[in-house]
Amino acid sequence: MRFFDSHVHMVSRTTDDYQRMAAAGVAAIIEPSFWQGQPRTEPGTFKDYFNSLIGFERFRASQFGIKHYCTIGLNPKEANNEKLAEAVLEMMPLYICKEGVVGIGEIGYDDQTKAEEKYLIKQAELALEADLPIQIHTPHRDKKKGTIRTMDVLEDVGIEPSKVIIDHNNEETVKEVLDRGYWTAFTIYPHTKLGNERMVELMLEYGAENIVVDSAADWGISDPLAVPKTAALMKQRGISEEQIEQVTYHNPLKAYGQSGQVEESDWEDSKGIDPTELFEGNTLLRGGMDVDTAMSQYLIE
Amino acid sequence: MREKLIESLAESADRDAVSWLRNTISNLSATFEKRPFYYSFSGVSRRFDKSAKIKGADDSPFNGWDEYRAARVALLLFLGEQEKTIFLETFFSVLNTADIREQIALFSALQWMPHQDELIEAAVDGLRTNIVDIFDAIALDNPFPQMHFTDEAWNQMMLKAIFMTRPLHRIHGVAKRKNQPLAEAISDLAHERWAADRVITPEAWRSVAGYLDKRHSDDIRKVAGSENPNDHAAASLVVSESGESLIDLQKSLAKELALIDSGNLTWNSLGQSMEEQLVHESLT
Repeated sequence: MRFFDSHVHMVSRTTDDYQRMAAAGVAAIIEPSFWQGQPRTEPGTFKDYFNSLIGFERFRASQFGIKHYCTIGLNPKEANNEKLAEAVLEMMPLYICKEGVVGIGEIGYDDQTKAEEKYLIKQAELALEADLPIQIHTPHRDKKKGTIRTMDVLEDVGIEPSKVIIDHNNEETVKEVLDRGYWTAFTIYPHTKLGNERMVELMLEYGAENIVVDSAADWGISDPLAVPKTAALMKQRGISEEQIEQVTYHNPLKAYGQSGQVEESDWEDSKGIDPTELFEGNTLLRGGMDVDTAMSQYLIE
Repeated sequence: MREKLIESLAESADRDAVSWLRNTISNLSATFEKRPFYYSFSGVSRRFDKSAKIKGADDSPFNGWDEYRAARVALLLFLGEQEKTIFLETFFSVLNTADIREQIALFSALQWMPHQDELIEAAVDGLRTNIVDIFDAIALDNPFPQMHFTDEAWNQMMLKAIFMTRPLHRIHGVAKRKNQPLAEAISDLAHERWAADRVITPEAWRSVAGYLDKRHSDDIRKVAGSENPNDHAAASLVVSESGESLIDLQKSLAKELALIDSGNLTWNSLGQSMEEQLVHESLT
């Protein structure tokens, strides 16, 4: 099977991860702009970060035969530093119409402050202006209220629910998010978010329509193979292959495909490595890995 | 220039994309604002086809460019007509946030940009890239380095081009800008390569011809004794430019020297044929 992981922070991952992902069938990924574990203090560091998402990280992924896309945005934590936030908002128009930028994200609430709301609205307006989907981060604390508030705010700005992917859902938020017509994404992230057995239960209850599964692998204890591993577990628990493909491939492709910046032919037709992406005519590519080694332990608890 | 470029683009590109480009320029001429310019410059990728090449006149500098590059250079030519501060601010904002294909367009356009003195540092810095296509956009088929680089910057570019085995005959001014320190550095690089049992591109010796001392003459004797026919051609070209100093090689290189006399072998023809051989090898 092939997979599309629509949320994974590869700047924090190693080439071993890329090898394992490629071996497990991950064909394409989206890297959302996010918080890097500690607050940034200068706007210039955002510029270099965005540059790495459209530059070196895209190149690095291509060396493993994985197609890399990104979303550009100011994350909610750093929206609370208003001086920084203003400067990043100034910078965003330089990036949002670039090739391979498939949305504004990940944006939303963290502490649900006024400043967070201000920059959520401003970035939603930018998404409208550039006609791009929005990737929403829902808060860890007070999640249910924060999720509902996010949808209310987006609708006030005039955003269509079908152009929004709400991420990090759980059993408490799923129903309302689906009912209101949003793409409903689940992050399979050990310990703090959602294990994949719970995901199987959710699929059995809600089906596959408008559901997306991603890994959100980052600098924490997380698993860049969460999508293929969850697919393997779903298969073992009797979910149909068609439904599995829908949540791990077709749905994210359709949701972010609304940007016009990602389509299946980008990787299905690509013949090996893009020569434009070679550095000094060399590649970083080193020997492959077999799928059994890559996937040896697929239960995520 | 801008109109010619858009006309060449219009011959093969999607009609809606070309009218979008024309409308964008006409809207921006009415009132220039940075944000719509940013959206248009990057948004070229939403409308044009990067795998399609445009065809200008045979001697046209943009013959063979992909559509992204052509459309973006057209926008930059328009940007160049703006007031100096606006031009420089916008140019650098776009350059400092550019992806690979955008950088290629920006560097190809340098030769037609105004206020070139203010852009030299960006070109020198751009050459520090490891991405071949970006390096090529500055170094190859582009008169900007020849016109503006100091000897120091020129020599760095030449050495890196040799290091990366780029086609040197496509560097504007390759014959005019040669100099003694560059000849020394090329000889040093050749000795390093030989010590590692590796080769150096035969075109490199073009910048050494004219600076022959004992050491360089021995280098050329070594090149003349190589098994590669392109090395023989290069050594012969050096001999033909060196008067009496390599007279001992005239006999063994007689065949190549005759080709030079009849005008059938030049540095450019050698460079072209090496490039064709490379394309041929990559296809087989």
